[in-house]
Amino acid sequence: MARMKFICDDDRCIECNACITACKNEHEVPWGVNRRRVVTLNDGQAGETSISVACMHCSDAPCAQVCPVDCFYTTSDGVVLHDKDLCIGCGYCFYACPFGAPQFPQDGAFGNRGKMDKCTFCAGGPEEDFSEAEFEKYGRNRLAEGKLPICAEMCSTKALLAGDGDVIAKLFSQRAIQRQLNQEEPNNSAASPKLWGWKTAYKD
Amino acid sequence: MFRLFPFLLLLSVQALADERTFWRQVREGVEGYSAVVGVETNKLIQASGTQWLYIRNELIAGTGAWVLALTVFALACFYLVRGKVRLSEPRSGEMIERWNKKERWLHFYTATLFIILAITGLSLLFGRSLIIDWLGHEVFASFAEFAKIIHNYTGPLFSVGLALMGLIWFEDNKFSQIDWLWFKQLGGFIGNKHPSAGRMNGGEKAWFWLLMTAGFLVTVTGLNLDFPNLEQYRLVMQISHIIHSVAALLLIVGALAHIYIGTIGTEGALEGMISGKVDKTWAKQHHDLWLKALEKKSSADNDGQQNTESISQKKAEIPLKK
Amino acid sequence: MKLIKRSTSVENKSENTLDRRTFLKHSSLAAGGAALSSQLPFTLMEKAEATEQSEQASTDIKTIRSVCTHCSVGCGVIAEVENGVWVGQEPAFDHPFNLGAHCAKGAAVREHGHGDRRLKYPMKRIDGKWKRIDWQQAIDEIGDKILEIRQQSGPDSVYWLGSSKHNNEQSYLFRKFAAFWGSNNIDHQARICHSTTVAGVANTWGYGAMTNSFNDIHNSKAILIIGGNPAEAHPVSMQHIFKAKEQGAPLIVIDPRFTRTAAHATQHIRLRPGTDVPLIWGMLWHIFENGWEDKNFIQQRVYGMDTIRKEVAEWTPDKVEQVTGVPEAEVFQAAKTMATHRPGTFIWCMGGTQHTIGNNNTRAYCIFQLALGNMGVAGGGTNIFRGHDNVQGATDLGPNAHTLPAYYGLTEAAWKHWARVWDIDYNWLSKRFDPALYDDGAGGKKRTMNMSGIPVSRWIDGVLEKPELIAQKDNIRAMVFWGHAPNSQTRSPEMKQAMEKLDLLVVIDPYPSNSAVLHDRPDNTYLLPACTQFETYGSLTSSNRSLQWRDQVIEPLFESRPDHQILYQFAEKLGFAEPMFKHIRVEDSTPSIEDITREFNRGAWTIGYTGQSVERIKKHQQNWHTFNTTTLKAEGGPCDGEYFGLPWPCWGTPEQKHPGTPLLYDTSKPVAEGGLTFRARFGIERDGVSLLAEGSYSKGSEIKQGYPEFSADLLKQLGWWDDLTTSEKQLADGKNWKTDLSGGIQRVAIKHGCAPFGNAKARCIVWQFPDPIPIHREPLYSNRRDMVKAFPTYKDRKSFYRLPTRYASIQKIDYSKDYPLTMTSGRLVEYEGGGEETRSNPWLAELQQHMFVEIHPADANNAGVKHGEQVWVEGPEGGRIQVMAFITERVSRGLVFMPFHFAGHYQGQSLADKYPEGTVPYVLGESCNTVFTYGYDSVTAMQETKVSLCRLRKA
Repeated sequence: MARMKFICDDDRCIECNACITACKNEHEVPWGVNRRRVVTLNDGQAGETSISVACMHCSDAPCAQVCPVDCFYTTSDGVVLHDKDLCIGCGYCFYACPFGAPQFPQDGAFGNRGKMDKCTFCAGGPEEDFSEAEFEKYGRNRLAEGKLPICAEMCSTKALLAGDGDVIAKLFSQRAIQRQLNQEEPNNSAASPKLWGWKTAYKD
Repeated sequence: MFRLFPFLLLLSVQALADERTFWRQVREGVEGYSAVVGVETNKLIQASGTQWLYIRNELIAGTGAWVLALTVFALACFYLVRGKVRLSEPRSGEMIERWNKKERWLHFYTATLFIILAITGLSLLFGRSLIIDWLGHEVFASFAEFAKIIHNYTGPLFSVGLALMGLIWFEDNKFSQIDWLWFKQLGGFIGNKHPSAGRMNGGEKAWFWLLMTAGFLVTVTGLNLDFPNLEQYRLVMQISHIIHSVAALLLIVGALAHIYIGTIGTEGALEGMISGKVDKTWAKQHHDLWLKALEKKSSADNDGQQNTESISQKKAEIPLKK
Repeated sequence: MKLIKRSTSVENKSENTLDRRTFLKHSSLAAGGAALSSQLPFTLMEKAEATEQSEQASTDIKTIRSVCTHCSVGCGVIAEVENGVWVGQEPAFDHPFNLGAHCAKGAAVREHGHGDRRLKYPMKRIDGKWKRIDWQQAIDEIGDKILEIRQQSGPDSVYWLGSSKHNNEQSYLFRKFAAFWGSNNIDHQARICHSTTVAGVANTWGYGAMTNSFNDIHNSKAILIIGGNPAEAHPVSMQHIFKAKEQGAPLIVIDPRFTRTAAHATQHIRLRPGTDVPLIWGMLWHIFENGWEDKNFIQQRVYGMDTIRKEVAEWTPDKVEQVTGVPEAEVFQAAKTMATHRPGTFIWCMGGTQHTIGNNNTRAYCIFQLALGNMGVAGGGTNIFRGHDNVQGATDLGPNAHTLPAYYGLTEAAWKHWARVWDIDYNWLSKRFDPALYDDGAGGKKRTMNMSGIPVSRWIDGVLEKPELIAQKDNIRAMVFWGHAPNSQTRSPEMKQAMEKLDLLVVIDPYPSNSAVLHDRPDNTYLLPACTQFETYGSLTSSNRSLQWRDQVIEPLFESRPDHQILYQFAEKLGFAEPMFKHIRVEDSTPSIEDITREFNRGAWTIGYTGQSVERIKKHQQNWHTFNTTTLKAEGGPCDGEYFGLPWPCWGTPEQKHPGTPLLYDTSKPVAEGGLTFRARFGIERDGVSLLAEGSYSKGSEIKQGYPEFSADLLKQLGWWDDLTTSEKQLADGKNWKTDLSGGIQRVAIKHGCAPFGNAKARCIVWQFPDPIPIHREPLYSNRRDMVKAFPTYKDRKSFYRLPTRYASIQKIDYSKDYPLTMTSGRLVEYEGGGEETRSNPWLAELQQHMFVEIHPADANNAGVKHGEQVWVEGPEGGRIQVMAFITERVSRGLVFMPFHFAGHYQGQSLADKYPEGTVPYVLGESCNTVFTYGYDSVTAMQETKVSLCRLRKA
């Protein structure tokens, strides 16, 4: 069974923000709601790194765990979706989400945030596929059309990959290995094996 | 617990001169730049989210449920064992004003809001586990949404009640030596002693101060949670939520005991709060010092025309000055 | 105990799985259309309702191919249109340039179908208020006023300011329009973006364009970017750059600022702004010192390298460091990288061009590539990234003050050539112009017909300068801004003055633009709504010289009209529609785009815009998936063997089926297959030294030496004359490859393996230019007074592009004490050009809501400003703007940077209430060019916007 994932290749991400506007375009997302964003760390300094981030469709999603009304569900593709008819706009998912994915359309005084909105991996929502209600609430359902998320499809440098986790992980690792092999001095520490860097990073 | 997202990020990792530092910073929520405007959009990840999730779901919800259940259980047991604390002497038929109109209004205003807030709040905390299967997702969601709105709007009103309570009952609730004795005798609930007490006994004072402190915390954190439009950092909201939940649970435990004592636990308590007047026998049994002071004051002022409402307050000060 | 239930995992609420990938077009698009209709502006409701009604009846969706209208990469756009509403945008994965990718702007182009902040109908200013009028009234009133001005002050008093946003046909028609009007006072944005490139590069080896292509960067072994920030300005090009980089090519970025591009560089060099020539010479110093130059290439194909060698010898590493601020080790490393990784490509943008010595910079870059032998090879070349989507095509064919279409110049021969193409009497054309003679700035006198017009950078001076000092009859009295953002030009305070002095101001644009609000004109000001390129169709030329065809996506929104229609209406009003449209069909006052293409096909021989017929370009568009994404060559299919978009020069007539030239000057291929030599443009010898190539020729050439450009006479000398057909002979006799309308001379030359334009050496010495070899001169506003002394600028000039032009008299004033900070400007990825269009697009505007100035922390501390606070940026000419401080180490100490896309605030005041109702862009801000100053390139009058001075004050 496919598990849909995003991967952002930060060697390639240039913070062009196409992923953001492509998403706005595809789903007619209103001003103030950004299902995706790009974060640049060490901005303006050596080591500057940009990473495009949205809902990462976690395997055991914190948002789903914390939701008081249990409005989240995971599709058989591994996409974490939610039911806006159930959502009460409490904001807990936003507090729990590591990635800042949940968005709210209203200003929030007295907790009136409106229904939570987030990246759907372009997979619509619980409404009938391609129905008007689905589009209005969740945007297009590209996955059902046999397409992948528009942000990744339109990424200017193909930094953002989306699709079956296994497939894109393989794609990315090939890319990273190729990159590594093509370095002039493969054993140079500045060009250390980038793919495996995370292991050290996450050794708690 | 934390196994969900490292895998995803691992693939978007870059080796820097010192990757470990870089990723540690990311996990610590180091701020960068983002063109997207909003709360903390410039943070790649916020590590505190999953910690908050753990605290809420495991500690607060888990422990809280036990605490509430045990409280109810304990009160039930107590009732079964001890039964209602009855008046040890027959009613005199002479009624003394214990709570004036304003106090009663304030009490029930705040109490009603408290109950509403407690029910709605608990619904958000436990509804998913306890009622969702029973009501179904749709009905529960409608209820929860209603509960959220009610909670958010009545919260500040409750805080107003609390503040007023603090103002008018502050003097009555200053602790004194007598309260120590009261506690030592377990408030007379166990055994047959009737410990002395002024207008407020030790238990009431304890409840008052719990209300004031926990209430203050609930108010501050609640207002914070109620206005996310002020763009607080998520950490602020998470901490607020934790404090709010813990304090609210404490208040609910206190309130359960308070309600028990004030209703089925003690004969004559509820009617005092409803009508404002208590039987002299009741006053003697539960608030002897207050009654004494009241009588003393009453005889001293016998000649004068008195305003009943102002009396009770003036009288109330007397035992405290001892 | 867990009281919180685990999340309901893997519920099959929605079975969006692989087996349900049937695209249910019907319901999907019905939903899209309906949702869209609720967001359409009022005036569109009728159309939208119609959409809803007909949903049941017809829900077929049209997939239309277009090209992004923002930058010059030329990304393919796939638009999904249902009943006239643009409902979806899909990635064009098969498009050879972008492979489906877009930047923020390209991914948001569908907003053009909403256009709720557009200028919706013609408007006129009456007593300082905008009033709606109808088109006929607008054309009549404007036409009458223009004719009146012509009567009083001659044709040169009306300025036609065109656009790089027009398609090729509209650009060409615009130039033709000005010719028929009788003035060279016509220009467009290219003047202020790459004019110095075009001049510098064309004068080095023949053509002023990107020599290779974005895709060809895949072949590069090293990439050097100077004064360019493709990550923000041409993001999709980064896809190609990364491909090379990941194959091991080092990426060197030379920029005073640590840009998003620099973040991905293997080496970033911060140079002091405006010191490009010393830095390039510094690198060449190491190259010559180590003997890394390509001696064979230089000997065969380069003229004048010895002179350069002498000049470079003076640029010792210590001197380079002193001037540029770059340490020797860094310069050496970059030079070594480029020398050891060949072929390497050299990319530049506005950081190199927008200087008083812009033409020196661009020529130095070319010389660098010549020294390394990187020209004419795959992976090498000077890859000049152009700005607007059709700036290349507009430069080639359109509104230029200094030349007729296709760089024929303004000589009598040029006019006669085009008169012949247009099939009109040259004498009639000549009479349209002012008959008087004026100072041509080179010691002679000329008619304005043969003299460059006033460039867009200087129109302000054309209005404000004393008329007796201008080389034309009178001041400019009417300005027609036809798709131009005035905030992209410097000296706003003077511009405001100039706008207010004009007798007539006309803005023809999809958006009101800053031209509508900067001034306080009470009347005689008109706004006419033009279409965007998605509401019309035609060809455009991307940066790599490929022509692409855009199909019309939607009908014109509101009352807007396409530019060629408006041109026709003005021509009609001004009385020359008949001769001008002699061979162009006109229906409903709209000229046929295809006929216009065919017309320039008949005349633009110099740069080979002759082989790209409408049919061929359309065929390429329909078959874009058949082209190789590195070589751009079609592999099989109907375009087999041709290069995508028939990159010019596409020699001869369409029938000759030249495949286009993917790489300029590439001798490894026969000319017939896209090979080329350096152009013999500058004569055959100079001071007794031959300028023709020695022993270098394109593959298959029958002449194995250098040769001059082809003419009828040369064919006869070579004995090839009889290769021409009889009909060709008739047209070709007495002509050359540029003026032979039969294309026969080109055909025969190519048949014999020769390049029609000859085979010469590239030259390092441009003897006609103020600086024959590129030398360093300090910017007009420099805070390094020691450098000003050592490298002074030019003397003031009396008549340059018709105007007195100041250099030394400005530079001699020392502003360094009062204005200690160096100031530069550049792009943001979300916005384009003057930004009116992109700031009116909510999807983009949301991402950049504030005009800002990047300040180094140290300078911020000195000025006492904190991040996010308001700060005044004040320039030495008195302009000042109030903007948000963005404290960052992107800029080095002493340097501030501002983006140039903002407008709508002026010196601290919002101009929002001056826009016609409903047209205020989502985001307004101060224009950085309010602070930017005087200073024009010595060859092209390019403005100096990449270096000036300023100071900061806390607001």
